[in-house]
Amino acid sequence: MTASSTKSSELARIAAEAAGTRTFSVQFTLTHGTATGYDGTQPMAYVTSGDDDKDDPNSWPTDFCHFSAAGLSMSTSTWPSAMSAFSGRVRIGRVEGNGRRGSFSFGGHSVPNPGFLNHSTRKVEVLITMGTAHWSPTYRETLMQALLIEKLTNLAGERGVPVLHLHTPVAPVAQTGRSDPGDGSNERLRDAIGPCMRFSIGIDPARSETRLDFETELAALSEEYGFGLRLDDQRLNRVRGEWFTIRGFDRERYRQTRTQLFPDAPMSTPKRALIVSVVGPSRTGTTAAAVATLRARGIGVLAASISSMRKTTFINLVVPVADHAPSTLPPWSGGWLEALPRITDAAGFVAAPTGFAADLAAGFAADLEAESAARSADESPIADWMAAVSPAMRCSFPPSSRQTGAATTGRVPYPIWLWWQLPHRTVDTPALLAEVQAALRPHTRRCEVAYAQSRLCRGDVVRGRAKIIVMLSQEHRDHAAVQRLLADAAETAQERIRERLPAICRVDPSRIRLRLSPRERWLPYAEISG
Amino acid sequence: MTVQLRGTIEADGPLDHLRTLIRALPVPTAPLTFPSREAALGLALMDLSFRLDHLPRLSEHLTLVDRGHMSRSISVDVDLDQISGRQRETLLVPGDGERRASLWVPVSRYSRSDLAPMVIRDEGGELVPRLSHRDANRVTAAAFVKLLFMLVNAHEDVSAPGSDIHRVRHTHQKSRWLIEAAIAELVMVGAPLGRRLHTPLDHAALVEQAHPVRDLALNALDSLFPADGGDPLLVPFARLLELATRQYILVAQLGLDRPRRFLTWDAPLLPARHRPAPLRNLAKNVLPVNREFVVEYATEIPRSVKAYHLTLEVRQEISVRRFLMSSDVDDEFVEVLAQDLESVARRAERLGGHHKLLELEMQSIASRLAELGRRRLVDLTGYEAYLARLPIPVGPGSSPPPRRLTADETLAALSAGDCSLHVLAAFCAHYSSDGLRHLAKSGLPGEALLNIAAGLRTTQTGRDLTIDNDPREHGAHAHWRRPPTELSPQSTEPVRVAAVMALADEAPALIESITRMVAGLGLVVLGIGTFLSGGLAWLFSARVNPHFAPDQADAVVAVLLLVPGLLLARLDLPSTRSVLWALQKYQRMLAAASVVVTTALAIAVGTVRDSHDLTRMFQLALGALIGILVCCLSELYARRAHRSSSVPRSARVPQWLLSSRGSSRRTVEPDDFFDARGEG
Repeated sequence: MTASSTKSSELARIAAEAAGTRTFSVQFTLTHGTATGYDGTQPMAYVTSGDDDKDDPNSWPTDFCHFSAAGLSMSTSTWPSAMSAFSGRVRIGRVEGNGRRGSFSFGGHSVPNPGFLNHSTRKVEVLITMGTAHWSPTYRETLMQALLIEKLTNLAGERGVPVLHLHTPVAPVAQTGRSDPGDGSNERLRDAIGPCMRFSIGIDPARSETRLDFETELAALSEEYGFGLRLDDQRLNRVRGEWFTIRGFDRERYRQTRTQLFPDAPMSTPKRALIVSVVGPSRTGTTAAAVATLRARGIGVLAASISSMRKTTFINLVVPVADHAPSTLPPWSGGWLEALPRITDAAGFVAAPTGFAADLAAGFAADLEAESAARSADESPIADWMAAVSPAMRCSFPPSSRQTGAATTGRVPYPIWLWWQLPHRTVDTPALLAEVQAALRPHTRRCEVAYAQSRLCRGDVVRGRAKIIVMLSQEHRDHAAVQRLLADAAETAQERIRERLPAICRVDPSRIRLRLSPRERWLPYAEISG
Repeated sequence: MTVQLRGTIEADGPLDHLRTLIRALPVPTAPLTFPSREAALGLALMDLSFRLDHLPRLSEHLTLVDRGHMSRSISVDVDLDQISGRQRETLLVPGDGERRASLWVPVSRYSRSDLAPMVIRDEGGELVPRLSHRDANRVTAAAFVKLLFMLVNAHEDVSAPGSDIHRVRHTHQKSRWLIEAAIAELVMVGAPLGRRLHTPLDHAALVEQAHPVRDLALNALDSLFPADGGDPLLVPFARLLELATRQYILVAQLGLDRPRRFLTWDAPLLPARHRPAPLRNLAKNVLPVNREFVVEYATEIPRSVKAYHLTLEVRQEISVRRFLMSSDVDDEFVEVLAQDLESVARRAERLGGHHKLLELEMQSIASRLAELGRRRLVDLTGYEAYLARLPIPVGPGSSPPPRRLTADETLAALSAGDCSLHVLAAFCAHYSSDGLRHLAKSGLPGEALLNIAAGLRTTQTGRDLTIDNDPREHGAHAHWRRPPTELSPQSTEPVRVAAVMALADEAPALIESITRMVAGLGLVVLGIGTFLSGGLAWLFSARVNPHFAPDQADAVVAVLLLVPGLLLARLDLPSTRSVLWALQKYQRMLAAASVVVTTALAIAVGTVRDSHDLTRMFQLALGALIGILVCCLSELYARRAHRSSSVPRSARVPQWLLSSRGSSRRTVEPDDFFDARGEG
């Protein structure tokens, strides 16, 4: 039997990282709160490992993730920890007093799973379109979204394939016309967010049959439910942000399915939502299990951010709160199984398939009930995971998008993408994002970090990506003018950040790599080996 | 360089040696405790030694000592900045007032069968301290014990009372200690390749009975690394353990004050692994084929290395007629592509229901095929340039310029499994010019994809080519660079490199001197015969001059003995173990034969008095010398044929190169094969 060494060296790498001199577990902090990045200098809550001594190498997080949607934000930082003795594989507790109003922090430790080998996998990224109107989901849509998350991640889970990340809502992709030159210069400006979901899975390149099966099933699901399906362009020399359309969004089919499955769910937009974070050592099939359990209780998903850091998975779900739910329950953390009744109480029962819809949905509903019962027991892959639940918070939705409101007002939020690579222990990600916001301020009236993720990579560098949502100071309805303004703003801000960073964090200017662009596909640096 | 990760796991099972030791070792009564720092150091060394990211450049200097032995000098550039801060903390050797802080840095891995000591020197010639084998083994054992503990802790069953994992972790720790002791024993002592471990159990007739501690240890191992169900951990863990038991890590202690270092050391002398069959060797030695001495060298280099230099030096009398190097840097990419092709072919019907999905797959396949065609064409162009600048030009051996293919012809050729470079290059051109936009509707999906997959494997398109750029005739140098775009970006599989060197005796060569000598001796015999017979009639007439036998034979004898002796003395005869000896063996035989002929003639002149007999002797000697001269000319003709052969007939030359140069002859075994991959 010929054995590939790639996974062996990955196992050695994970073990070496996990068994560093003072590293026995993964320490993490979770922060739930309201998105205050529009005008604040501190874009997101950030809790250090206990002290702010930047000379202590352990005070620098190795991974960071932030996601913001519906006026709520969730941030996660991780770093290796010397903590070795605690029962179970993860523990979590409330951290009091992070110094910010309206935000709630949780801290914990997790035993990473060194057997979760996914670095050598081939990444397949998927963009799901669940609507073309601007993003303002109703209760019914949140249930439909939860159903899709469950179905899609289950496709991966049942093949033993890990979900590397999942985000919703994300920026939709405009259909390119035949006149598109291919470099993106002429492509339509994208909306900042839309009713879309983006997720990626990692498949062993040697298991191409599994990948094809997954993609075929995905296309079949798309046909069945009517959602739009795009896959990342897998051709060589294509970069992230280039998509290949498999199926367009079928509005009628999608609407019919949604109505048939959830006829009794209210068509109103939730006014409040709470954040549920489920944390545990990375395994396959965990996202589907978490979402299925919630949905079985009639709870939908308004927004989601799922990522795996240091072999620990963080499933952050924004769940809508029913109007009749109790006004406020305090933030809570504990085991996942204990969290379920609490989440149900806090969110309130929203809807469940009944009558004709239940008959139509009998297939998956029966599965769900059985699955729910099973998952409540110890067999669930997340039975030993921990959860943190925020209080219900007021949520808000973007006022307009280009497709719906730009033609009349010109006041439209646009996305700007950021990619960076900096030496570790020079500037932490929240501080960098604050710099980016400050640099964009002269050009914008609002500026919010919608998504950011950074991680420590080989060569002792931190590499990250972010999406900034900006509303330009100058209002223009003309496409070319807006594009020019955005490009100018990104370029000017990029230069300003490059000048500022060496002054604030003593980083060698030649080691700063940073790119800010209104086009996602223009971010990559040349990866030419010397 | 012996970075060896790839290999074979014994058919008995990946963890067979470990299981054998679990059955054979005494059950420990106390845990095997390693300091956590040693475990961390061991894991960091293991991690770094497999990737060697901190070695941007690697050079090997080969010297062919004699037939069967090659000496190697290895030098590496080390960039300590590539080692992350967290790993540095683990590898740190703290300094004090006088001593600088330094790091333990792995610089190579090599087989445990290479027992010669290695002395590492830096750029200033200073000796660099090394970690002893014993210490390296100890920290490696500590690393495995730690890794096992981490895997147990992260296992799903660790908190399920009653499960094997829970028992070895919490309640029946003796079994875990036994596994740990077996791992430590395996790492410290090593394990043979492909053979079962020889243990005392093989000598004793034991009564079959249950042993709860050993049984639990074996069951826990099964739970931790289940062989079925596609468990992703079994093979990686087994591979790590296998390498740790077969190889040593060469670890140098480098000061932190200079992050960029240059290290060099002499690797153990490399014996040849392979000898050609005796009959083939005999044929080469007794036939006028002007033999080449073909040497092949195989090694492995880390995938992360940016540049690799391979230099070869031989004696000045020997010429390096051909030198080329081929690596399998794109092999994994081609294999994945071939598997994709086969998967799509098998699912073409199902995928056909989702037309755009099929189109995406086909476009993905097309883009990769086009890239392969482009890369190999660059290699071929480099090879053509190499042939063009050879001091002895290669004859018109290359194929005629191929006819340009249309898109349809290209697809038809591909569908038939023709993945020659000409077709792939044409495909690349059509793809680049957007001529292949709707592949899902073409005839490709289906059986044709299987043919393409087979064609790709047959033509070995995953193997690149690097050629000699050393202007000297008795030396060679190949400079391999990592491709600008890594096609298997996540892979850490080492790159296998094979070099083929054809050594020859080029002008001024021995065969030329011997030809001249034989011709000269022929003329001497002709001259003496003509002088004695008084004309040239003795050459062709049956009539014999009755005064042919000289009255004073001594002078003739002296000439016939002295002239060849003097000529022979001017030929420099090499050592019998050398490559030159092998190259010139047949030619020396011709020289000796010519001397034998003239000596025999001298004896005849001194003893035979009869003119008739002596004339026949002269005729016979001249005939023999002409025969030897014909052999010499055949050698020269064979040399010309060898020179005009543009591609060495070696199994390590990529098939795409052989076919594109029109070489359809079968490959031949090398005279010597040196394997530095540490598979022994």
